[in-house]
Amino acid sequence: MAKGGWRRQLTVCILTMLSVVGIVLTGCARLPYTTKVVYEGSQVMVALQKEVKPAGYSHPAQLTAEEVTAILRGFSLREEQQLPLRWFAEEVPPKQLFREDDLAHLTFFLVDGLKAAGPDERVHFALYAPGMNPADSRSVTAGWMAIREPYLYLGIEYVHTEIPIRKIDNYYQNNPQMPPLPRTYLLFFEPGRFWVMDQAGTRGLEYRQFLKNVSAIGTPGTSTQ
Amino acid sequence: MKIRLRETGLRMSEAGNTICRWALCLTILAVSVIGISISRSAHAAEAGKLVEKEGQYVFVENMDPATRLLLDRAVKQGIITQEEYNNVIQESERRAYLSQPSFKAWYDRGFNLSMNDNAFLLKIRGFVQMRFTQRYRNDAWRNPGEAKNFPELLGVFGDYRANRSENDASQFNLRRVRLMFMGHLFTPDLKYFIQLGGETAENAQNPGSVQVLDAAISSTHVPWLNIQAGQYKVYFNRSQINNSTSMQFAERALVMDAFTASGLNRRDIGLTIMNDEEVYPVNYYFGVFNGLGPGFNRFGSYGSEQPTQDCPGGQAGGSPANCPTPQRNLNANLRTDVSQLMYVARLNWNILGRPGYAEGDMAYSETPQLALGGAYAYNPAINTATDNAFIGTDLANLNVRRQLATFGNARQLGWGILDYSTYAFDGVFKYRGFSLQGEWYWKNINRHQKGAPFLGPVAGANGGSAPALLGNATGWYVQSGYYLIPRTLQFAARYAWWDPDTNAAGDLIKQVDAAFTYYVNGTYDHQITLQYSNTFIGTGGYALGRSTPLPTSPVALNPSGTVPLDAVQKNLVENAIRVQYSIFF
Repeated sequence: MAKGGWRRQLTVCILTMLSVVGIVLTGCARLPYTTKVVYEGSQVMVALQKEVKPAGYSHPAQLTAEEVTAILRGFSLREEQQLPLRWFAEEVPPKQLFREDDLAHLTFFLVDGLKAAGPDERVHFALYAPGMNPADSRSVTAGWMAIREPYLYLGIEYVHTEIPIRKIDNYYQNNPQMPPLPRTYLLFFEPGRFWVMDQAGTRGLEYRQFLKNVSAIGTPGTSTQ
Repeated sequence: MKIRLRETGLRMSEAGNTICRWALCLTILAVSVIGISISRSAHAAEAGKLVEKEGQYVFVENMDPATRLLLDRAVKQGIITQEEYNNVIQESERRAYLSQPSFKAWYDRGFNLSMNDNAFLLKIRGFVQMRFTQRYRNDAWRNPGEAKNFPELLGVFGDYRANRSENDASQFNLRRVRLMFMGHLFTPDLKYFIQLGGETAENAQNPGSVQVLDAAISSTHVPWLNIQAGQYKVYFNRSQINNSTSMQFAERALVMDAFTASGLNRRDIGLTIMNDEEVYPVNYYFGVFNGLGPGFNRFGSYGSEQPTQDCPGGQAGGSPANCPTPQRNLNANLRTDVSQLMYVARLNWNILGRPGYAEGDMAYSETPQLALGGAYAYNPAINTATDNAFIGTDLANLNVRRQLATFGNARQLGWGILDYSTYAFDGVFKYRGFSLQGEWYWKNINRHQKGAPFLGPVAGANGGSAPALLGNATGWYVQSGYYLIPRTLQFAARYAWWDPDTNAAGDLIKQVDAAFTYYVNGTYDHQITLQYSNTFIGTGGYALGRSTPLPTSPVALNPSGTVPLDAVQKNLVENAIRVQYSIFF
């Protein structure tokens, strides 16, 4: 190798570095990211996630555990099929999102999360149960919650989905383990009159109206099964 | 006295080797015993279990709810006693436990079959990678072709041929076909991994046949002392530790293959101790291997004894003078260097987070991930075919020679017995979809036969010896990627540089790659890659022990069309577009 070649190599190296830094600075890839973990245990994880764009949420929000339980008890869901299966798939009735023991584990920490969240943060949650191979995966129900008055928004990413425990495969050395992409679910709420479209066309729950009526309605959501 | 000392030294060396081998055996035995003893855990009676039904998991009690309601009412109303209630509940659960199947089967990143107590698991996975290659090579590929780094070794004796081809090529290729069996035995901490491969590399001359790529047992009982034994990829350089299922490009760069620990292959047979990468910020890997690639060991390494000392001889006559004639010395009649082993050490420091070995930031890391690593490998006594006065090269194991040629180290063929000392330093950074990684390599080549190597019985100024010694080798690469759409669409670029002979001029190999990869379901398991590659290979430098007759200096092409293997003319340039579909299921 000629001696002058080292200078050329260095130039190539510097140009490569500059170009990759440029790509990063001008890049467009963004996802909400965790700013604070409110609670993390073996069964539940609640964290605050910063939205990519300013969201203007009404956080921090004051709700009691009973109110959050009543709200979440009303939700049911069905997985949305991809096209073209959506045209042919028989519609299955929606299933209740949370069991009572799920709610008992989750709501207390969700209340803490809503209290701690800022205007551009949503409250992300995950419920864990042992997976089919407990040494390798766990069954996860996960999503997020946010409030922008007068609506409460709920997003669901996983429902009893097998998620790897480790980043590296237990059995195939150094094979990365990625959780599957969040799925799309169609959410329903009982009674349906509180589950409305906001000005931007997003489904939201008029939760204050619902909570005012909750005692008169009784235990909502049980009829969706 | 000297003889006695030597004998004592030999005995001590033999004793040391024996102790080492016994220690290895005992370690493996101890791991197995621990595994078996831990596996004997008692079953606990269950009151119910999670059952998957129509895509949802529901908790199902072992006892019928109606029966339980009646029993609850009965005990409340005093029809039965609490003791009778407890007994019948226990008996019912025991009956339910015994009547349920003792295994479960499901699909999750492979087909899984497990015992209910999770003592045994079998996971079967497949990996298929199909590729279309459109490539254009310049005229230098036709004449003189590539004869120094990647020659073809044909026939039962491995006759050297330059790798030559026409300009255009359009071909489909089943690049990787893998079938994997993995899981655990007795306990989740005693794992096995078997991988079969039936694939065809580009330019391969034979159709793909099924081979055992990996067969290893791992113990993870002690997080700071994991043990892996069998055949697997050596923990040496970052690009090879990473799996082909999680690369940013369709193929590794040429320089990555040239600087494996052994210099012959990325896989080997041996034993490694290491700690758990996910637990400790600093990771170590210490390994001992045969050093001759997969499915092979040093029992297959041989040389030829000279019938008369200092008389290399030959079938047609003795050389030098005063040696008996005729005599044959291409006997391949002595198993040599059968006690040698390869030693590998690697350290990896996860400075920020855990970037892992997978290429690209598929996980869209929320915090910066940074790691630095370094490794050293010593692989002694590789028989690359020794110099010989009769045909220039003596016989050596063809498998070893072919592996050297496949991984781009064919320049060292014909240099006799070599010791490789290879160094690798690497770094990786990942953050929010962006990744940058690079490695630098250095290989020190120690030749047992000192002095200029013998080129062949040709008249010339050098008297049949090479005009200069072959040098060492060095190289590096840097690659970067960015997810334009998180977890879905990545753009990556790479530059690789390789000097296969530091004593030669005009022999550099440079490679530029750019690739778009679309990940169908947001994981590495399902992807489509479109890659452009430009490869530049210099034809300078010596490649010894090839031509007949052998040249005494780098030669140009013969006007009559004959192409000596050591011809130096033009540079080899290849432009290629590869479209690749991969699925890992």
